[in-house]
Amino acid sequence: MPIEPWACDMKINPAYYFLAPAVVGLTVFKLIPISVAIVGSFYGTSLMGESVFRGIDNYRSILSDPDLLSSLGITLLFNLIANPLQVVLSLAVALLVFRPGPLIGLFRSVLFLPVTLSLVLTALIWNLLFDPFLGPVNAILEAVGIGRQGFFKDETQALGSMVWLATWRGVGYWMLFMLAGLYAIPESLHEAARIDGASWWQRFCHVTLPLMRRPIAFVLVAATAINMLFFAPVYIITAGGPNGATDFVMFRIYQTAFNYIDLGRALAMSTIMLLVVLIVALVELRLLRSED
Amino acid sequence: MGKLTALRRFGGWLVLGAAATFMLSVVPASAGTKLDIVWMGWAEEMVKPLMDWFEQENPDIKLNYQRIPYNELLSSLEVRLGARTPEPDIYSADASLTASYAARGHLMDLTPHFKDDLARFDEAALQAASYRGKVFAGPFATSTQLMYVNVDLFKAAGVELPGTGIEDRWTWEQVLGAAKKIAKPQENIWGILLEQSDRPYQLLPLMQSRGAKVVSDDGLVSTGYIDGDKFVEATQFYGDLFGVHKVSPPGLFDLNLVQEVFHTGRAAMMVGGTWNLDRLNAGASFKWIAVPHPYFEGGTPVTSTGSWQIGINPRSKNPEAALKFMRFFMRDDVQVKWFNLRPYPPVLKANWSNLSDRLTGQPWKIAKYELQNTAVPRPPIPGFREYEEILKLAFRDIQQGAPVKERLTRAAREIDRELAKYK
Repeated sequence: MPIEPWACDMKINPAYYFLAPAVVGLTVFKLIPISVAIVGSFYGTSLMGESVFRGIDNYRSILSDPDLLSSLGITLLFNLIANPLQVVLSLAVALLVFRPGPLIGLFRSVLFLPVTLSLVLTALIWNLLFDPFLGPVNAILEAVGIGRQGFFKDETQALGSMVWLATWRGVGYWMLFMLAGLYAIPESLHEAARIDGASWWQRFCHVTLPLMRRPIAFVLVAATAINMLFFAPVYIITAGGPNGATDFVMFRIYQTAFNYIDLGRALAMSTIMLLVVLIVALVELRLLRSED
Repeated sequence: MGKLTALRRFGGWLVLGAAATFMLSVVPASAGTKLDIVWMGWAEEMVKPLMDWFEQENPDIKLNYQRIPYNELLSSLEVRLGARTPEPDIYSADASLTASYAARGHLMDLTPHFKDDLARFDEAALQAASYRGKVFAGPFATSTQLMYVNVDLFKAAGVELPGTGIEDRWTWEQVLGAAKKIAKPQENIWGILLEQSDRPYQLLPLMQSRGAKVVSDDGLVSTGYIDGDKFVEATQFYGDLFGVHKVSPPGLFDLNLVQEVFHTGRAAMMVGGTWNLDRLNAGASFKWIAVPHPYFEGGTPVTSTGSWQIGINPRSKNPEAALKFMRFFMRDDVQVKWFNLRPYPPVLKANWSNLSDRLTGQPWKIAKYELQNTAVPRPPIPGFREYEEILKLAFRDIQQGAPVKERLTRAAREIDRELAKYK
């Protein structure tokens, strides 16, 4: 019997072969860049471009910087409003378009349409729509007697306008996951509840909602990861203003790296941001942990 | 046997390839040299004629130029120069950043190459291209600001026009008085526009006219300067134009949009660069005049200046070709053509007479006077990029109603934090 030179007795679980591409991808595109960023966060760059070891100086300066802490607060507040809003709205629209009916395909497509636009285009569109002088939204508000609003140009409305923009684009996408979750609920459970005389609201609270914990947890964590890194509309529309109202951490990181030419500090901010996202995601997962 | 032949044949090709590569590498650098250029995003018709002319005169050098809009140019250059690669060989350097680029080793020292040419340049332009006594960039343009006046709007509102002579220079208080009488924000008619309404380039002269010093002598401290009383007073005046008096449209930061508002006859006055003259001369739909830049009552007239320079990357693999490019663009005739494409005030002394047929009329008389008497360059500080960016955001916020003293104090804190790395 011929012996293959590479043959050996060691048996490898076939699951590893299937996992390998994902592990390689994760390592090359995630773990290695993250490691490089963490190492880089302990360095600075001299004026002549040489790397200089700074130890924990980058972290010390960031954590004592009131402006960065304020940015972190704004980013968390944005997430505190945008994430639950997107979860609730995506679940609501998923429930609306869940059952088959006339034109339901059209409704689903319309709801999904904003996702197909790039975030940059979305930002440009809403910047024009909300323009205080030329924007059609303000023209309508003026026509109905409400009066013109500043939206992105108003310190008190800019963060809310960003929440609106992120939600307008995000809801259609998250709706898909909610729909998948709704389809996974066995119809027999609803049937049994209906026979027992449960109302629509009772079926929603006691059948739908408990069985939607996993999709809801996924959407919440994924929305958190995306909204924590919210950047393009801030860069395009407000540049962190007015008066720091939309000074998100990601914008500050960009400024630090590319305008203030301090890559080490920017990497330290990114590392802190990574930790914050991890902690928030873990808390969310724990809160929405399924019993099974 | 067949395999051996194939292997030999492959080996032969390999040797031939290596020989060809070697031959190519020993050919003189100028033959077929390609220069990688990052250029300011002026319109293609303002850039291509000059590049084509250079290529015609230097057929052995090909130019690969990329035009980048101003808003993206500076950060794009930061990324490319920060990588410390040989590309780009040449780039458009904003005059305010010469010191910063030179301090960080991003500009070739041109002093030995310019030694016979120094007397040809306007002194202020040459000073703006120098750092610690050495010339680091080739002056390509300078600038000054005029106040353009829409005569029709003034007459329709029955407001007296400012005079066009230097001695008739208006104060900012007079400008505000006239603007208040003319502006009708609800009808999208404005009193006064600042062409670059958020940029220190245009705004620092306001503060300097009030007597404010904008940074410490060593260029490393802004606290006590940009949050000082005089700076705050002038900035308050600026902020009130938008929020209190409503004579300027807030949030209009794009220079092209501001120009559009004026050139379509929807603003009574605009403080802007001489580049507006061509468009106005080409046929404005209203009667206009240009008058001297305003100043604060009791203060001194101060105007912005400085503009674009050409820099060579010291890591360029084609320094000879890059220097050829530089010498070409520093020629009188090339800069005359450049003026005809975009009328920046000349940086070569000879061109004030070479272009005498075009530099006529009151606007250019005022421009020449301002350049020689009231122009104050932006402070040559190594961290001007950070200084400008942070102050720009503060001005934007103030336009939109942020409390002036508080916002400038925050900006000063941020600027000082970023300037610390240059100490």
